[in-house]
Amino acid sequence: MNNLKKRSFSLVFTILSIFLIVPACWAQNSTPEMATLFRSNGKIYVVVLVLATIFAGLFIFLIYLDKKIKNLENK
Amino acid sequence: MYATVLALLKKDLLIEWRKKHTFFGVMLYVAATVFVINLMNGQAESSMWNVLFWITQLFVAINSVAKSFLQESEERFRYYYTITSPQAFIIAKLIYSVALQCIMSLLTLLLFHLLLGSPLENNLLFTALAALGGTSLSIVFTFLSAIAAKAQQNASLMAILGFPIVAPILLILSRLALKTMNTVVVNGWWGLFMVLILLNILIIGLSLILFPFLWKE
Amino acid sequence: MRLRWWKLLSIVLVFYTLYFGLMGEVPSKDILNETIRNLYYHVPMWFCMILLFTYAFVYAIRYLSSNNIQYDLKSAAFNKVGIVFSVLGMITGMEWATYTWGEPWSNDPKQLGTALCMLIYFAYLVLRNGIKDDEKRAKISAVYTIFAFSLMIPLIFVLPRMVDSLHPGNGGNPGFNAYDLDNRMRMIFYPAVIGWFLLGKWISELKYRTDLIDYKKLYHE
Repeated sequence: MNNLKKRSFSLVFTILSIFLIVPACWAQNSTPEMATLFRSNGKIYVVVLVLATIFAGLFIFLIYLDKKIKNLENK
Repeated sequence: MYATVLALLKKDLLIEWRKKHTFFGVMLYVAATVFVINLMNGQAESSMWNVLFWITQLFVAINSVAKSFLQESEERFRYYYTITSPQAFIIAKLIYSVALQCIMSLLTLLLFHLLLGSPLENNLLFTALAALGGTSLSIVFTFLSAIAAKAQQNASLMAILGFPIVAPILLILSRLALKTMNTVVVNGWWGLFMVLILLNILIIGLSLILFPFLWKE
Repeated sequence: MRLRWWKLLSIVLVFYTLYFGLMGEVPSKDILNETIRNLYYHVPMWFCMILLFTYAFVYAIRYLSSNNIQYDLKSAAFNKVGIVFSVLGMITGMEWATYTWGEPWSNDPKQLGTALCMLIYFAYLVLRNGIKDDEKRAKISAVYTIFAFSLMIPLIFVLPRMVDSLHPGNGGNPGFNAYDLDNRMRMIFYPAVIGWFLLGKWISELKYRTDLIDYKKLYHE
């Protein structure tokens, strides 16, 4: 179970870091207006990022609770 | 009630006088801290002086007040339980740690003047603020040390519990103290001052209400 | 299984918020652009945190007046889920700030206030984990919850007077004043707060029920 928790943590972190790193890479060769992902289309992707974070957080908590209930069942 | 509080206070002072470990230990601690600051920084300019003073106050409070509950053993608590009421006990402890902390504040202030220069323009006001700040810090930490003692933990737990609560209080104090430094105009000084006084009353009230619950096993 | 009405309400409101929050019309502003929609997702986290901590506070009082261990477990569950929401509010706020204020951390009073809340309740976890005896743990954590919560609330309201704010509504920030700006947004914002809060309450209840089973099992063995 610990493994599952660790794996899910690393999965979420990977997703989040992709979100954070990709625009940073974009910025390297961008035009002066900084047309990076998060600043494009009226910055709508910031909202996407915020929603993704909220759901990631709730899922992490669900996984933790799941682990706890599993432990109880095995007792 | 008054007699019990007085008796308990006298007991604490007597223990203090016999052992002398808190008082001189903390005094040495203050002196060493101020001396180290002096060695590292020399004479500090006024805003830095202000920050250093309140940080020193924080650590002095943690070190001196921690002892007020944590030095008592479990058996002694049981003994007090049979002879006094919780309110009398916590009031005595509060008065004792406020007195101790005020003395420490004044000593710290003196040492700061000696070793770090004095950028103050209104000495009297700053001294009053130091005493007020010492009071706030010591009452918060007295109650938290009661919690830490009941949880059978050490002083570091008290610091962990207290830091987030004390941080805004320190912020208010350092803001208030700016008025005594130079020409800085502090907006809403009296408002902040009243907030601090009200916070103190709130903390004392909470301590009086909540301590009886910690007291009984 | 029949869901309680407020659980259904939570589902409905969160979906309402997701759909109309993303599809609805919002005022166009410089710098903020579409991120103004975060009002429906980031701000309710903060409200949720305060409301969950308030529930925990109430249950702590009820524990002290009744000595019923269930109230302690409830209080702890609400505090823990409150911490989850404070972390979410903090992270989403920093993400939003990066693309509008230009940096994730700018010593804004609301940020500082949330950071202090997080520290207070992390300390609560440390305190709670350090005590082995159930009854003692319940009593001490209830006392600390009451003490910390009643000091935290005034301090959160004092902080904005100390530090300049970038948030709308205080510190004379002209950027946007969403709270009294637009009726369309208000029609989504208030349901959003209620929906997210009910979701938080639901999660806390699941946590509480798990802990209660855990406690009963321990007690019987």
